[in-house]
Amino acid sequence: MVELAPPGGLPGTAAGVTEDAYRFRWSWDRVTWGTHCLNCLAGCPYRVFTRGGEVAFEEQGGTIDPVAGGVPDLNPAGCQKGSAWSVQLQSEDRVLHPLRRVGERGGGRWEEISWDDALTEIADSILDAIDGDGPESVVFEESVEGGLLSQAPFLRLAALLGAVTLDANGLVNDLPVGQHLTFGKFSCASTADDTFLADVLLLWHANPAYTSIPYFHFIAEARYRGAKVVAIAPDYNASAVGSDLFVPVRPGTDAALALAVCRVLVDEDLWDRDFVATQTDLPLLVRADNGRYLRQRDLQRGGDEETFYLWDEADGLRTAPRATLDLGALRPALSGTWSVELADGTPVEVTPVADLMRRMLGGYAPEDAAAVCGVPASTIETLARMVAGKRCKILEGFNAPKYFHGDLMERSMCLLLALTGNWGRPGTGIQGLALGGLDGYLLFSMKTKKGVEEAARVLDGIERAMQTMRERDPEATDEMLGTQLLSLATSSGTTAPPAFFNYHHAGYRETWNRREWSDPTMTRSFDDYLGDAVRRGWWGGVARPGASTPPRVFFSVGTNPLRRARGGRAKLLDNLWPQLDKIVVVDFRMSATALHADIVLPAAMQYERVNVQYPITHMLRLSFSDAATPPRGESRTEWDTFAALARVIAERAAARGMHEYVDARRQTRHVDRLGDDFTVGGDFADEEIVLDEWVRDSADAGTLPQGSTIETLRRDGSIRFTGLGTFAPGLSVATSVRPDEVMTAFRWHVEEKLPFPTLTRRAQFYIDHPWFLEAGEQLPVHKEPPRMGGDWPLALTSGHSRWTVHSIGMGNRHLLGTHRGRPLVILSEADAAARGVVDGDQVRVANDHGFFEAMARVTPRVRPGQVIVYNGFEPYMFPRWEGANEVEPGMVKWLHLVGKYGHLRYLPFGWQPVPADRAVFVEVTRVEDQGEGTDVAAGVAAGAAGEERG
Amino acid sequence: MRGTGRPVIERTRMGEYGANGDTGEGAGAPGQVAMVFDLNKCMGCQTCSVACKVLWTREEGEDHQWWMSVNTQPGLGTPKGWEEMGGGWLDGQPVPGHQPGRAEFGGGWDFNYQEVFYGGTGSSTHLRPIDHGDGNTRWGMNWDEDQGGGEYPNSYYFYLPRLCNHCTHPVCVSACPSGAMYKRHEDGVVLRDESACQGARFCMEACPYKKIYFNYARNVAQHCIMCFPRLEAGVAPACARQCPGRLVFVGSADDDESPIHKLVHQWEVALPLHPEFGTGPNIFYVPPLSPSRLHEDLSIDEETPRIPPEYLESLFGPKVHAALDTMRRELARVRAGGQSELLDTLIVYHWNDLFGRYTTDPATLDRSPGRVPVRFGRSPSTPTTS
Repeated sequence: MVELAPPGGLPGTAAGVTEDAYRFRWSWDRVTWGTHCLNCLAGCPYRVFTRGGEVAFEEQGGTIDPVAGGVPDLNPAGCQKGSAWSVQLQSEDRVLHPLRRVGERGGGRWEEISWDDALTEIADSILDAIDGDGPESVVFEESVEGGLLSQAPFLRLAALLGAVTLDANGLVNDLPVGQHLTFGKFSCASTADDTFLADVLLLWHANPAYTSIPYFHFIAEARYRGAKVVAIAPDYNASAVGSDLFVPVRPGTDAALALAVCRVLVDEDLWDRDFVATQTDLPLLVRADNGRYLRQRDLQRGGDEETFYLWDEADGLRTAPRATLDLGALRPALSGTWSVELADGTPVEVTPVADLMRRMLGGYAPEDAAAVCGVPASTIETLARMVAGKRCKILEGFNAPKYFHGDLMERSMCLLLALTGNWGRPGTGIQGLALGGLDGYLLFSMKTKKGVEEAARVLDGIERAMQTMRERDPEATDEMLGTQLLSLATSSGTTAPPAFFNYHHAGYRETWNRREWSDPTMTRSFDDYLGDAVRRGWWGGVARPGASTPPRVFFSVGTNPLRRARGGRAKLLDNLWPQLDKIVVVDFRMSATALHADIVLPAAMQYERVNVQYPITHMLRLSFSDAATPPRGESRTEWDTFAALARVIAERAAARGMHEYVDARRQTRHVDRLGDDFTVGGDFADEEIVLDEWVRDSADAGTLPQGSTIETLRRDGSIRFTGLGTFAPGLSVATSVRPDEVMTAFRWHVEEKLPFPTLTRRAQFYIDHPWFLEAGEQLPVHKEPPRMGGDWPLALTSGHSRWTVHSIGMGNRHLLGTHRGRPLVILSEADAAARGVVDGDQVRVANDHGFFEAMARVTPRVRPGQVIVYNGFEPYMFPRWEGANEVEPGMVKWLHLVGKYGHLRYLPFGWQPVPADRAVFVEVTRVEDQGEGTDVAAGVAAGAAGEERG
Repeated sequence: MRGTGRPVIERTRMGEYGANGDTGEGAGAPGQVAMVFDLNKCMGCQTCSVACKVLWTREEGEDHQWWMSVNTQPGLGTPKGWEEMGGGWLDGQPVPGHQPGRAEFGGGWDFNYQEVFYGGTGSSTHLRPIDHGDGNTRWGMNWDEDQGGGEYPNSYYFYLPRLCNHCTHPVCVSACPSGAMYKRHEDGVVLRDESACQGARFCMEACPYKKIYFNYARNVAQHCIMCFPRLEAGVAPACARQCPGRLVFVGSADDDESPIHKLVHQWEVALPLHPEFGTGPNIFYVPPLSPSRLHEDLSIDEETPRIPPEYLESLFGPKVHAALDTMRRELARVRAGGQSELLDTLIVYHWNDLFGRYTTDPATLDRSPGRVPVRFGRSPSTPTTS
């Protein structure tokens, strides 16, 4: 400890007075650990300094030990949002008391009510709904915002009720669909420090200077180590500033660029044949007559559906091994056409996927692709030669899959990595997101009582189930078995992909059937495809609540659908809201959704309660947020809220003589025991106990150091995981955690030749599903973004802002002070000039779906033809509360309705239709009335573009 | 381009801190604390700004004050157009300077939360900064964020974090008519005795970096104190220690072994901002590299940097060219498989290596209000203790 300097300034001055006052400001009487459990999922360890019972300020801990020699450490992590959380505690958008709407929804009149009254009213609504339409009429939005102890309580209540929870990833559309199509999973991310080891970094559909602030330094440091940094984006974004090469690309044409690079790699013989032969489906044989893989059942009656073939250069037709990627003595041909005899004696020509790929790449000569994507042929060639033979990592955010054809972009980017042998080695791969490690959390919902013995019992049960499945499918890896288990659990759980809910209950059906906003290769209406998918049972058991079950009670716990929903706030207010008896928002702040709720319950914030966030592999750490002060006002933790609600539901049920009911899955629900069941007879009385249980069970499961408890976490603040666990999310990273190494995903696939969890058990670039064949998307290709929103001249791209995590931070006036504090429409100089718009003008953005108004920022960094509106601004920051999502139709791609095809089947957070919101077409006009009080103008003058709604 | 025709500083004390009349580089105080910001690592996230704001400027009269701020260059920055506002020294004489006003700083906004949430007007009222009639809602500390210059696709910009330069020849100290300002011998931090400050604001006119703010509630000027209470306790300033980009070095430029000395004096890659202002800044910057320009046909022009060298020279002086040449040479060396001590220094393998002797973890300190030396003065206002 360092002694404090003596007080006072220079001798002979009175300066000591001021100096002492500043010294006082940097004083505290208590230090705790804190993190903010935001949906950035970073989990940066902070120290929280309290003085006189109030949080004074916070600061990053800076105590993370170095991991690997010669690799920069992870300190200090953090960002401006985390560093301003103490301000957020006192912010004016904080909700401190239970509120009940007075007058109409969204009218802005409230009364404070007691917790008892609030919970009683909610409980009665739930019981009415169950009574009338069954428990699936009670719908919760899943989220990862707010930490696991904000989520676990309502998920637990929903599970006990047999209600529906809408899949978080389907709501926020952070699903890398193309990674899933290729690898059978999206957990492809390594630790952030693995970035340092790359030779070439492609920042592609990512803007880490905005969205990965804690890890951005690894990019700059990698550059100083000698890496080339290339930023590929339509606009010269904040991350391009620190690159060596900026590659401007026309929005939505990245697949053409990636495929042209692949074409050069093949043409110049720069591709890694051994790698693709081992790791991918490129050697597998495809029938020329129908475009399907050659399967065993083609060759022999009763043959297997999922046994595939390759052509050995010495021995001809051979079965492709399924249990391993190891080819042994096989030398599969990557080119050629051969004839094989089908079971009925008909000869059919077969050819390897590699040849089909070459044929497909024939359409992507650099000059041709240049005309599509705007990147000159010479740059395409430069990129190919830069990547070939080098360790290349693609830093990808969740931007690409938010394009209608984002799956094609991602598949093309993965193909580029495959051809250059770039996964499973340090400094390679595609960096999106991977979850894993906190096994205790995943065990929790399966435990019927407290204690490690119970955890051991559950784990034993899982192991026995895995053993049974292993016997049935001896070639399956643990990852595949874990995925199967998750699939089983899902079919009896509450989670449902929201696309079906949106289709049946939220007014999206009409939008999704608009052919002119969809892809021209669709041969039927969206209705037809969806009906077909449902009839074939591709979404059996998860497409809930069904069309005939009206949603009646809607819970939003830390989510904000009216801000977020692609399709717009108006879409939900016009279609979903009128059906709902009760809308309950549990939040610490007045979100747009809270403003339109019936009851708002105040939640305690981080620093006022204990919490942890769902761990991602970027830091590979579990960070702890402690209670530095009591919750402000009447706010409560979600555990307390939902435990109390469970008790009140049981009491009110008993009072109306309701004791049990049978849910949609024919399970009997004992509603009169709900309070006891929630806490397991009081065993899980509060969130401290619950978190301690998660930590102890994780230690027992080997993912945290032995002996870890909530107290070791409270002492150390942040612990590195020792393993990724035995559940599907962790297993799918396919790598081991070592204490003194950066963690690189997919090492098991490359080093141990463990197969991928795809249909073909290889990284799969050829999807031979009939719908994909019909669409011409069996291989990745480029397709133009459909004219979502209508035939307007400007492509609206968006993305996460620098300033907030979603809308959290929009209520923090100091954070608002770090930007313009209001929504912005960011325009190129050329487009602004053509429309008579100057920087700072109020402009209207409109298309055939809707419109909104906001201030224009004019800058040469934006590509002409592109408009950027960053996410996160609350609708109530726009005139008439018409937010940026009003111009986003929220189209989903019909091919993502495919199911029961190998790896194309629903998993929580995984494969499902998600709405697109990039490359929405709009027009921008200057608003005539440049006073900021354009509210009252009430959307009359429609501007240049038509509107669906007045 | 220096401001002219603006109010002249009438009372200037050419005391011990007078200008050296040359490049603006000076020996500094015996224990002068200096900082180097590596602009190639700065992502413009404002964590430094927010860290400073949360710690020091959240009380009444401090809302619009951002002692630390990051601006997009080229741009008008904060206060708006500060580079053209004069101040500083020229040939041993103070240069007339403009005193930036409320509208030029902007920011410090209040918002109409209560009206929107509880006013009963529904969607007819939206959340926005409240205009108090002083024009401050049309500018802020980061108003021209990510706008930059050039012409697409050869747009260019970079981030410039700015705080008080704690100059070796602090013209603000000389300008103060009340004798309230001083430069501490032990660490060279420039401070103000707020009990002696009369609110004359000559310091604001004199400072060529326009990094002094006026507290309208308390009628005193305020500026970055370089977190001196932290320095005294061996802890790096909040902007440096909280920087997620790991780009802020703290220490002494005179210590031959310190990274700062090496970056400033040995490799000469860290330069002061606007050395021609003549005040001898003690904050230095590693100037930004930039991606290659693109030719008219969009092919890559390997030879021409995206940021015009003359623009960088206007900010960092003529030495910027040699500094960038050194950076490019070292990058070429590592890309060819070689080693570079300079780049290894800038990588900063261990975070605490940034902070010289200021590596104490604040959480290990006993700073309970009773233990912290405090004599309650009238300024700045002090929070209530329990």
